[in-house]
Amino acid sequence: MNEVQLFLGNIWFFIIGLILVLYVVLDGFDLGVGILSILARDEERRGTMMASLGSVWDANETWLVVLGGALFGAFPLVYALALHALYIPITLMIFGLIFRGVAFEFHEHARRKAPWGVAFGAGSLIAATMQGLALGGIISGIRVVDGEFAGGIWDWLNPFALLVAAGVVSGYTLLGATYLVIKTQGELQARSYRRAQFAAWSMLVAAAGVTIWTPLLYAQVAERWFSIPDIFYIGPLPLAATGTFVMLLRSLARRRERAPFVWSLAIFLFSFAGLAISLYPNLLPPGVAIADAAASAKTLVFMLTGIGMLLPVMMIYNGYQYLVFRGKVEGSGYGRE
Amino acid sequence: MPAAGEGITDMDMWFDHVTLSRVQFGFTALFHILWPVLTVGLSVFLVVVEALWLKTHDTDYYYHARFWSKLLLLNFGIGVVSGIPLEFQFGTNWSEFAVVTGDFMGNILGFEAAMAFMLEAGFIGIMMFGWRRVTPGIHLFATVMVATGASLSAFWIMSASAWMQTPAGVHLEGRQLVVDSYLEAIFNPSMPTSIAHMWFACLETSLFVIGGISAWYLLQGRHVEFFLKSFKFAVLGAAIVTPAQIILGDASGVVMAEHQPAKLAASEAHWETNPPEKGAPWAVLAWPDPESQHNRWAIEIPAALSLLTTHSLTGRVAGLEEFARADQPPVLVPFYALRIMVAIGVWLLLLTVWSLWRWLRGRALEQEHHLLKLWLASLPLGYIAVETGWLLRETGRQPWVVHGLLRTGEAASALPADAVAASLLGYLFIYVTLLAVFLVFARRLVRRGPDLQAPVPALHPSSPLRTAPGTAGEPAPRSQP
Repeated sequence: MNEVQLFLGNIWFFIIGLILVLYVVLDGFDLGVGILSILARDEERRGTMMASLGSVWDANETWLVVLGGALFGAFPLVYALALHALYIPITLMIFGLIFRGVAFEFHEHARRKAPWGVAFGAGSLIAATMQGLALGGIISGIRVVDGEFAGGIWDWLNPFALLVAAGVVSGYTLLGATYLVIKTQGELQARSYRRAQFAAWSMLVAAAGVTIWTPLLYAQVAERWFSIPDIFYIGPLPLAATGTFVMLLRSLARRRERAPFVWSLAIFLFSFAGLAISLYPNLLPPGVAIADAAASAKTLVFMLTGIGMLLPVMMIYNGYQYLVFRGKVEGSGYGRE
Repeated sequence: MPAAGEGITDMDMWFDHVTLSRVQFGFTALFHILWPVLTVGLSVFLVVVEALWLKTHDTDYYYHARFWSKLLLLNFGIGVVSGIPLEFQFGTNWSEFAVVTGDFMGNILGFEAAMAFMLEAGFIGIMMFGWRRVTPGIHLFATVMVATGASLSAFWIMSASAWMQTPAGVHLEGRQLVVDSYLEAIFNPSMPTSIAHMWFACLETSLFVIGGISAWYLLQGRHVEFFLKSFKFAVLGAAIVTPAQIILGDASGVVMAEHQPAKLAASEAHWETNPPEKGAPWAVLAWPDPESQHNRWAIEIPAALSLLTTHSLTGRVAGLEEFARADQPPVLVPFYALRIMVAIGVWLLLLTVWSLWRWLRGRALEQEHHLLKLWLASLPLGYIAVETGWLLRETGRQPWVVHGLLRTGEAASALPADAVAASLLGYLFIYVTLLAVFLVFARRLVRRGPDLQAPVPALHPSSPLRTAPGTAGEPAPRSQP
């Protein structure tokens, strides 16, 4: 591994982090609305929730496909090891995504809507939970010997991963509730404020737990967090996250429409920055780092000119789609104009 | 892409992780391909009718765009969600494949997602639900982007798939195939014919879906003038696409003969190389027996295989005998898959020729009930040809996952077999449910028919459609059932 390749690997670590953040916040609110739809009192209200996502869910989910492709291309070894190790949560996540994805059309077409309402809610909850378990499984370590996965198929299932999953589900629910505050009005909006408050507190508890637990799990992480000068980079993050949390609660209490969603996004960004700094330069702790897994320099450059250049273009036309469909949802059906 | 296991005689073999992963990939791939075929073809059709509406101001074209796009959306959602398992299975079930080929394959899949999927996803919302929110010009732009995205994704996927058939531009470095030349890898020998053959398959299948559904309305006497337009479009389209597809199929065979002679021999059940000066016969039907390395029986046309693959009556065609048994593909599945596909291709050409002939003779097509019934009956044939085409393509590549470089058996993740069996059962249950529900809803959509009373957006450049319903004196075009 020469310096150029390592440098390119670092650039791709950053780009994949960016794609991951885009996926997590965009499909995060999407899945969060799905989780909240379980609480909807009837199919009419559930239909309104689904309609708020009608024009954007597909693009949001496509970030997962972009993420998979970019990871496969830039760090093939990580792609192979992580997906092999996480066979069960990844497969169940896909099942969840299938059910909630087809539910948009099927709920609209069905005469008996209830089963597809269940498919939408349960599918979203399963997908979110499995993403949390997969993340927890990765942070708690993947056993690799000679570049092959050497652990068991249930390794990812542990108390730490369950706590991470609780955090991810709460976080997605928070994003979903604050998104619904923007897109709905009246009773549904009032409920969304209350649900956002509940989700915010539950996310805070889980995030605090994860933050305390992680350095105990890894000497490596503890060293990074509590050593000079690294503490100066990582130290501000929990402070900023706490400050943002206070602002989020304030904006919810004052019944602001857009601010709660923005503050929730900020909390996600700080959490991700913390995660990335703690892991770097590891991709799969404890033993697989950027230098072990990066694709050839030629490929990383080729991807940079292709996918790298397309990223801003994708963000622009995705943004345009949100602009076209801005404002409150009207009606209760997916596919109504 | 590894496909369903063939040639397995020992029942125990079925319950190992490699076979189960192959069955799972084969099944999920064969299910997935059902949907993009229509997305690619129908989105091109939608671009045409929408452009015709803007050009001619004939509102029938607007209603065609609205009617067929409902079917497209129902189809599209299943295509999106059934595509995700394929990308992830490269890691979950084929992790060694992912490590070995990631330098090329991962990159290309990433390109596909960033360049094609996202383009489709980023504009399908506007195309489906944006009629009142953007101007007709921007709406057409969105439809063009959806069609472009769909066709581009076919381009990248077929380039990657073709590379697995005829890998080029890479060298082995440790465990990994490292790319020397992206140009050579992307434009590998079988890439041009693979892409063209698949893209035309999408057009052909979609034309016969459009033609078949239109024929049903004509037979019912519902909206005759309206559906005569789409039926004639299908006939005209088929007049170009059906012969072109047969030529492209032949070209694919020639590429296969040059680069994958074992695959060609297997798909023709051709065991013995023909001696010089004597053409190889073409088996119309046969019962191949890999144990004894010959056909138990065969109906043959002398010298026809030489003519088909070398375009000469005495050309040499290598038989399976020239390949070690461990390097021979299965024979039965590719052999019959090829014949079903070819038969469908020829039949659709004949049907098209007959329809054109009646039309040119000045007959009223809506009166031609026999012809219309045949169009209706031929609606699923394109799909069957696509499925058998993929079976031929993927089983014929065995025992390699990357031809000549990586064997399928060495590419799989070492997973517990029962975990793969469980996920396979999950996919079976989910996909059978999705297909059944789709058919119910699609049938309902077709029976309900187009809403020809819905208000049409104004086409004057000075009045964009931004206005809310009921304001600015503009009728709110809602096509609610």
